[in-house]
Amino acid sequence: MISRSSSLFSRLVAVLALVLAVGAGLLLVAAWASARLAADEAYDRLLVGAALQIAETIASDGRTISVDPPFSAFETLALSPRDRIFYKVVDPADRLLTGDADLGIPVDRARLAAGPLLLDGEHRGQAVRAVVTGRYVPDATQAGFAAVVVAQTREARTQLTRALTVKASVMVLAMSALALGAVAVAVRAALRPLGAIEGVLAARGPNDLQPLGLAAPQEIHLLVASIDHFMGRLSGHVAVMKRFIADAAHQIRTPLTALVAQLDLLSNETDEGRRRDQLARIRARMAELGHLTNQLLNHAMVIHRARSAAFDPVDVAGLARRTLIDAVPQAGDRAIDIGYEGPDEALTIPGDAIALREALANLIHNALKHGARGRLTVRVGRERGRVVVAVEDDGPGIPASEWARVREPFQAATGGTVGSGLGLSIAAEVAAAHGGEMRFEVHSGKGFCVILSLPDGEGRP
Amino acid sequence: MIRRLARLLAYGLALGLAGPAAAEESTRFPASEHERTTLTIRSAADIDAMAPLIRDYQQLYPDVTVVYHEYITADLFGEVAASCAVGHADRDRPADVVISSSVDHLIKLANDGCARAHHSIETGRQPDWAAWRNEVFGFTTEPAVIAYRPDLVPREDLPRSRVELVDLLRRKPESYAGRIGSYDITLSGIGYLFAAYDGRAAATYGRLVEAFGRANLQVRCCTSDLIADLETGRIAIGYNLLGSYVYRAMRRGARLGLVVPRDYTLVLSRAVLVPVTARAVGDAFAFIDYLLSERGQRVSREEAFFFDRTGPLPPGIDGPPSLSAAGAFRPITVGPVLLAVQDRARRARFLAEWRQSIGAEAQKADVGAPKASRRAEEP
Repeated sequence: MISRSSSLFSRLVAVLALVLAVGAGLLLVAAWASARLAADEAYDRLLVGAALQIAETIASDGRTISVDPPFSAFETLALSPRDRIFYKVVDPADRLLTGDADLGIPVDRARLAAGPLLLDGEHRGQAVRAVVTGRYVPDATQAGFAAVVVAQTREARTQLTRALTVKASVMVLAMSALALGAVAVAVRAALRPLGAIEGVLAARGPNDLQPLGLAAPQEIHLLVASIDHFMGRLSGHVAVMKRFIADAAHQIRTPLTALVAQLDLLSNETDEGRRRDQLARIRARMAELGHLTNQLLNHAMVIHRARSAAFDPVDVAGLARRTLIDAVPQAGDRAIDIGYEGPDEALTIPGDAIALREALANLIHNALKHGARGRLTVRVGRERGRVVVAVEDDGPGIPASEWARVREPFQAATGGTVGSGLGLSIAAEVAAAHGGEMRFEVHSGKGFCVILSLPDGEGRP
Repeated sequence: MIRRLARLLAYGLALGLAGPAAAEESTRFPASEHERTTLTIRSAADIDAMAPLIRDYQQLYPDVTVVYHEYITADLFGEVAASCAVGHADRDRPADVVISSSVDHLIKLANDGCARAHHSIETGRQPDWAAWRNEVFGFTTEPAVIAYRPDLVPREDLPRSRVELVDLLRRKPESYAGRIGSYDITLSGIGYLFAAYDGRAAATYGRLVEAFGRANLQVRCCTSDLIADLETGRIAIGYNLLGSYVYRAMRRGARLGLVVPRDYTLVLSRAVLVPVTARAVGDAFAFIDYLLSERGQRVSREEAFFFDRTGPLPPGIDGPPSLSAAGAFRPITVGPVLLAVQDRARRARFLAEWRQSIGAEAQKADVGAPKASRRAEEP
């Protein structure tokens, strides 16, 4: 069963919503910062204007310095209607000419000549924006800069900042909402082909293994292609299985029919000598049928194991020796020189010992039955990073034109006796299941050789 | 008389101590029902003008006792500023509502953080110029007028603008020299405020002060003195008087005429605030809401201050159809611009120039005026 994790749609939308939210948050901070800057700039002009208007009224008559803060300066400041106003004017000797004595904005006399200086400060527990500007008093006794300090609370600035920020925020949030909506729509549209695949698969009959044949966007083309490829393989396997079953049925039915016919003959036969002959034939037939059934089951088992069995370390050399020893009785009374060439120590690869033994047994059996006239040799060794198991006999071998065909089940090389067709196909199947291959070689003067070439597992992690 | 002397003595001492124990007269308006709370009003406004408003307020809030203390503006300012600086009002000198005709004082107090803000439907209806920070609210409309004795000023002489007044003084110096009266702006807060605003109209102000100087302007500390001198005939024309007080005298039966100048009309909006040190804050705000409400404004128009912004002028007044008509309306805005009026360098300079123009008369009034006369300084 497929474990069901949260939907792609909600995951995509959640990630994009998070990105949008972070983006919106950053934008809001930026909007606030720039709004504050803009508000400060706007009201700073008023503040500087007022300070300059006051500074302009500073005058000296030679004895005293006077100042006459004009209405217009306060009217300028009153353009930020709710803000409190604090100010003071000091002469070059820092004596207070007018205003709030306790206004604690520092006056940097070195900077007075350079024009109005804006700074943030605090007065009576309130944050204020202040400007300090100087006016040169060309007086004989105390020439120097008189200083005007004007401070204003930040209410109007805060209000303007808030208003600008709110406007920007509304836009940012609207854009984010719009983007999120678009993302949702786009993600839904992007995921629609998956839904189409699901629909097509769900609507299929259980035996329909045709490719989907859907037009898919680039991103999920691979998925559709994989599904189609998988479908193709599956349908190929099913075809193989069907053919195998049909062939197997045929292979079993033929000897059964023959058996039935021979049993009929036997039941009608009265002659004792012929009865014995017929019984012997029936026994031989039965042995063949038994062998065929064994092979069919083995083949099915090998195919099954190839798909399901886990690999364990297998000592191929030991396995070959044991299998060879087990096969010796099959030679019967024929004089065959059976030999083993290979290392005495273990030669280990990852594999399925049962399947490998079956493959090897089949090859040896084939060789004994169809090939070897006087010699059978099993060789085990390493060859270019692979482990090679070769079964060589001095028989006639299989013609090269048949090599491809005989790997298929029931395609015995010589179309000869019943049941001869499965051994090579089992061996080929096992080799393939181990990631290796089966091949044939003809050694002039020596004979015919079937070789299983298997990876030794070191290429794999 | 003895009590009055004692009080004046106490006042003199208080000045010496610069303390909050300033001179004042208090009136108690007891609650008609079971008293829930006491609202203390400290005010620079005639009790005669305020009484109808307070009584009508008590119609709405019959369980509130109102104690009304009348001050002169400078003392009121000093006391409220002092308790604000300390952070609490003197135990036996509470102040829940502060009213002053010297709006600049209240603006200064609000600027220094001594006032509480109040938001309500009534405060929301105020025009921008009549309120600041929702802390100081102008609740009256009192034009600066030219008052005259109809029997001493022939109709053809009647000045309807400042230019006509200057013209009259130039044409008939013999008739009006020494017969023109106005505030001594060195003593009167309202006089200074009006003069400062006249000064903003620089073109006429210079000529006006110069003409006053030549015509030997009679200066008085306060509106009541000017009205009294008009009634006795010692002066024939009074300039820049508070229209509401003159009109009250007319209703009382004084033989006076009243001209609202047509060139421009300065309009004072007497202001009210609730100090941060107030105790009966809710009732104080309710009182402000009452003053600003249509009901309060109607009582104010009919019984207290007689003028309003948009309605027609009271009967028997020579002037434009309404105060806000024809662009002549120059309200003294309740706002930070009044800090300019409060600036001490500016004030010193302005007063010096005024003294120089008005001359010896003002000097004499300044020096000769005994402290006692300051009691009546404020209208």
